[in-house]
Amino acid sequence: MKKGGEGCGPAASSVMIDMILTYDFMQRALIAGLVIGIISPMVGLFLVVRRLSLIADALAHVTLSGVAAGLLLQKQFPAFQTFNPMISGMMFSLTASVFVERLRQWYRSYQELAIPVILSGGIGLGVVLISAADGFSVDVAGYLFGSILAVSPSEIGAIIGAGVLVVAVILLFYKELFALSFDEESAMFAGIPRRSINILFGLVVALVITASIRVVGILLVSGLITLPVAAAMQLASGFKKTLFLSILFAQVSVFCGLAAAFYLDWASGGTIVLVSVLILLVVGGGKRLIRRVLRSGNGVRRRDAS
Amino acid sequence: MNETVLKMDDVDFSFGEQKVLEGIDLNLLPGERMALVGPNGSGKSTLLKLALGAYRPDRGRIFLFNTPLRQFRDWSRIGYVSQKANSFNQAFPATLREVVASGLYGKLGLFRWMKERDWHRVDAVIEQAGLAELAHRNIGELSGGQQQRAFVARALVGDPDLLVLDEPTVGVDAPSVDHLFRLLADLHREKGISLLLVTHDIETAKPYVDRVVRLNRRIAFPGNDEKRKPMQVVEG
Ligand SMILES: Nc1ncnc2c1ncn2[C@@H]1O[C@H](COP(=O)(O)OP(=O)(O)O)[C@@H](O)[C@H]1O
Ligand SMILES: [Mg+2]
Repeated sequence: MKKGGEGCGPAASSVMIDMILTYDFMQRALIAGLVIGIISPMVGLFLVVRRLSLIADALAHVTLSGVAAGLLLQKQFPAFQTFNPMISGMMFSLTASVFVERLRQWYRSYQELAIPVILSGGIGLGVVLISAADGFSVDVAGYLFGSILAVSPSEIGAIIGAGVLVVAVILLFYKELFALSFDEESAMFAGIPRRSINILFGLVVALVITASIRVVGILLVSGLITLPVAAAMQLASGFKKTLFLSILFAQVSVFCGLAAAFYLDWASGGTIVLVSVLILLVVGGGKRLIRRVLRSGNGVRRRDAS
Repeated sequence: MNETVLKMDDVDFSFGEQKVLEGIDLNLLPGERMALVGPNGSGKSTLLKLALGAYRPDRGRIFLFNTPLRQFRDWSRIGYVSQKANSFNQAFPATLREVVASGLYGKLGLFRWMKERDWHRVDAVIEQAGLAELAHRNIGELSGGQQQRAFVARALVGDPDLLVLDEPTVGVDAPSVDHLFRLLADLHREKGISLLLVTHDIETAKPYVDRVVRLNRRIAFPGNDEKRKPMQVVEG
């Protein structure tokens, strides 16, 4: 417990800098964490304000069935021995994201149905594929819960590539995404190409999810996408400020997760999400506390005046 | 050929089996201000959305600025405030200024950024709407009337030739309603903007419009007070 506190502290970080300089796997973990800590809240903000954060969860679970399919291929067919299951995971979630637009229509009328159907469908298919090739549970755990220290050299290239692509798309279409998120109908009447932008955004979400799985795992991906945004929304005024603040919160969480994984051998994904929850609680509670203090201060002043 | 801002020519529209609009003929001339009134469910909002291309009519033809609706691309000439403008996500983390600026995004087009003079335009419209002190507040923190004015500002920021407002006075405090109508009068005087206004509150709106049209599935009274005759289709 005591060491956990040190994990994020300044003394520990100087030790960690040595580690990073010494070990390749630490460099990769740090780069992966940095990239994921930028792109997750970036798409997360647009998802949260459109009340679509559950779609991130749905896509993550579809990715699981893709990863399972990849693992099965790897196991059954010698030709696929070097196949990275992340590729099939990505293909599954990219495909699913194209249907997100339709899903959203469905989601509107059967909110409590559409998401569980896709979630359990994704898990169900994943579990069946896993059992069909029985016994690669160790591999699967890495995908479910994430392991930031296990990012391979080939994966780091893919994560950086995905990161650049995601940042580019969000910056290039920032105006359109903002307008569609705030008021889809008016944006449409203003001539903003709704369908193509929404499909593009869905693809980007799928990309972020696939890239994040190594770091936080399928089960926790939506936490990293939504929690820093939720915390930033408590504090910031304005969209751009909320975006920057949520990236800052995500970076803090990812760095703590990395430290906990390195020093304590804790699951990186779990730590990242726990730190995010902690930030959200502290920010939310702090805000309420300050407001109460201000209000009682005003009360005192009013009583003095009378 | 005389320009019309909006022309509907014998338009029918139904949602599935339910006939909503029937035989609609409507001409809105440049600089004309028209109020559209009628009971709830009479199809007023549907008529506006039909005119903006959200739905396809079953029959008849629609023109915006003399261009058939299907070919019309110049959306920045139209500013629209929907009936449920106020039903946005109140926790949306955007400032009033960011929301008003988004009214320019369609006009700017893809891969173009807001420039200095665009921001000046945004600030000028916010000032005009009497919201200057609130520019950096989150949109959800404003009162209903202030939000409604913000949406009108967003519709106006692209300097449209036609402003379409769907029940802009519902749930809005009296000073804001007043401010809105004076703003519309100024715009009409200075820029000759055309106005298509759906409203319940015909008494408040009457001094500010040129024509009141009653709608109940069909156009019951075209509102040409002087001539007292059915509206003519302007020949093309
Ligand atoms: N999206 C829709 N789908 C099906 N029916 C609709 C839809 N929008 C409106 N209607 C129906 O069309 C009729 C006209 O609605 P509307 O144009 O909103 O009326 P108004 O604005 O005059 O109150 C109503 O009976 C309404 O129930
Ligand atoms: Mg209506």
